[in-house]
Amino acid sequence: MTSDVAATSAPAERAHESAPRLVKMRRFGAGEGSTLPISLASGAVILAAWWIVAELRIVPHLFLPTPAEVANAAVSIFQDGYANATLFEHVGASLLRIFAAAAIAIALGIPIGLLMGLNKWAKGVFDTPIEFYWPLPPLAYLPLMIIWLGIGETSKIVLLALAMFAPIVLSAQAGVRSVSQERVNAALSLGATRFQLMREIVLPSALPEILTGIRISLGVGWGTLVAAELIAATRGIGYLIMSASHFLATDVVFVGIGIIAACAFAFSFAMRLLEAWLVPWKGQN
Amino acid sequence: MLRVDKASVFFAARDGRTVHALDRVSLEIPDRAFVVALGASGCGKSTLLNAMAGFLPLSSGSIALDGAEVTGPGADRGVVFQKDALLPWKTVVENVALGLKFAGVRRAERLARAQELLRLVGLQDFGAAAPYELSGGMRQRVGIARALATDPAILLMDEPFGALDSLTREQMQELLVDVWDRTGKQIFFITHSIEEALFLGTHLVVMSPRPGRIVARYDLDFVRAFAATGDARAVKNAPAFGALRDDIRALVHETQILRTAAQ
Repeated sequence: MTSDVAATSAPAERAHESAPRLVKMRRFGAGEGSTLPISLASGAVILAAWWIVAELRIVPHLFLPTPAEVANAAVSIFQDGYANATLFEHVGASLLRIFAAAAIAIALGIPIGLLMGLNKWAKGVFDTPIEFYWPLPPLAYLPLMIIWLGIGETSKIVLLALAMFAPIVLSAQAGVRSVSQERVNAALSLGATRFQLMREIVLPSALPEILTGIRISLGVGWGTLVAAELIAATRGIGYLIMSASHFLATDVVFVGIGIIAACAFAFSFAMRLLEAWLVPWKGQN
Repeated sequence: MLRVDKASVFFAARDGRTVHALDRVSLEIPDRAFVVALGASGCGKSTLLNAMAGFLPLSSGSIALDGAEVTGPGADRGVVFQKDALLPWKTVVENVALGLKFAGVRRAERLARAQELLRLVGLQDFGAAAPYELSGGMRQRVGIARALATDPAILLMDEPFGALDSLTREQMQELLVDVWDRTGKQIFFITHSIEEALFLGTHLVVMSPRPGRIVARYDLDFVRAFAATGDARAVKNAPAFGALRDDIRALVHETQILRTAAQ
C-alpha cells in the first residue's frame, strides 16, 4: 500500500515543478476578465438565428428580410441613395443636427450645472424646470416644438438639445459635489482666489463626471434623433427609416438601424478615447 | 509667533445637540518652535488646527499670526493633511509649485523653486511623476514641499504620518526634523502617537476630550538632541524618554477613564 501512495504522488509532484498551478483570491461578481470571445459568440448566435428564421420563412418575409437582403439594400443605398438623397446626405444631415444640439447642450449645460453645484440660489432656480422636464419623453413635447418653432431645422435641433441638456447639467452638478473638501482647503491655504479655485481645482475635479454626462447625452441624442426627424424632414437617417417603413421596406429599415448603431458606437468610442486623453487619472486615487 | 487666545468652538451635531469641541484653549507657538498636540480622537486637536488654518471660525476667542488676526485660509499658513490632497492631473513638481502659481510667479521660476523644495524632501528625481505613482510616504513628502512653497510663517500638520507604516513613519519623522531644522519654520503638529510627540516636539500639549481642552504642557529637548547627533535610536532609548512616555501614557489613560466615568 505504501508503495502505491508513493507511485501516485510522484507524477503530481513532477507536474507541479514544470507548471505551477496559478491561483488567485476568489472574487464576487463578473470580474474584469475580457468577455470578448463570449460577446463574439453571442453575436454570431444571434446572426445565425436571424438567418435561420428568415431563410426558413418562420416569420413572414415582409417582416424579416434575410441578412443577405439587408446587405444588398445597404450596398444599393450606398451607391444610389434612398428617398431623393444620397446616403452621405442622410448621415450628414443627422450628424449636423446631433453636433449642433450637442454644442448647445454643452455650452449651456456645463456652466449652469457648475453654477448649480456651487450656488444655492442657482440650484433652487434651475432645479424646478429641469426636474420637471427631463423625465418627460421627447416625443411628448415634440408637438409643442412644432407649434412654437415650426417644422424647420430649429425645432429638430431644439428638441435634441433639450434631450441632451439634462444629463450634462446633472453630471456637471454631481461633478462639483464630488470635489473633496480637503482639495479645496488645500488650495485655499495655498492662497487661491475664488477664480483660481474654480479653474485649478473645481473644473478638473468635475471633468470626469462631465465627460460621462456628455457620453450619456450623446446616447440620448441618437435615441431622440428618429423622433426629431419625424417633423417634416427630407434628409436624415431617422427620416430614411420612417420613409422606408411607409413602404414596408423592412430591409432598408434594418440598414438605417445599423447606421444609427454604428454612429452611436463610434461616438461612444470617441468619447472613451477623449476621456483617456483628458482624464488619465480617473480611477487612480 | 502664532497666538491662540481662549479659543472655543461649539458645533451643532446632527441630532440637534450642541457639541463643545474646544474649550477656552490658549496656546502660543513661538518662532522656530515645534509644538505637538497629543490626544485621543475627539479631543479637539483637529478642530484647533482647522481654526488656525482659517477653515473654521471660532465661537469665541481669537487666533493671531504675528499680530494679525486669522480670519480665513491664507498662504501664510501652510497645511499638510492626513490624507494628502495632491492634484492627480498635475505632476509632482507642478503640485509643489501650485501655491506659487496662485501667487502669480512665472512658470519657469516657480518650477525651479519647486524643484529645490523637492530636493529638500529627497524627491528631486520624481518631479515628472504623477502623484498616484508614488508611495504614501513619498506623497506626504510632496505635501510638505507644497506647503513650504509659499514660504509660510508656520506649518500646520494634521496627523500627516498617521496612515503610514511604522518604518516609513520613522523615516518621515527624521526627514521632518531635518526640514524644520533647515527652514526654521514654526510647526504645529497633531498626533495620537506618544512616541512621535515626544520625539518631534520642542513643546508638547496634551489634550482631553469633551470639551476639548489642554490638560498638560511639557517643554522637550529630545528633538534638539536628535538634530544635533542624528542618532534617533539613542534619543528614544534614553531613560528620560521612556520615563516621560510612561507618565504621559498614564495621563492619557486617566483622562480617558475620567471621560468614561462622566458619561
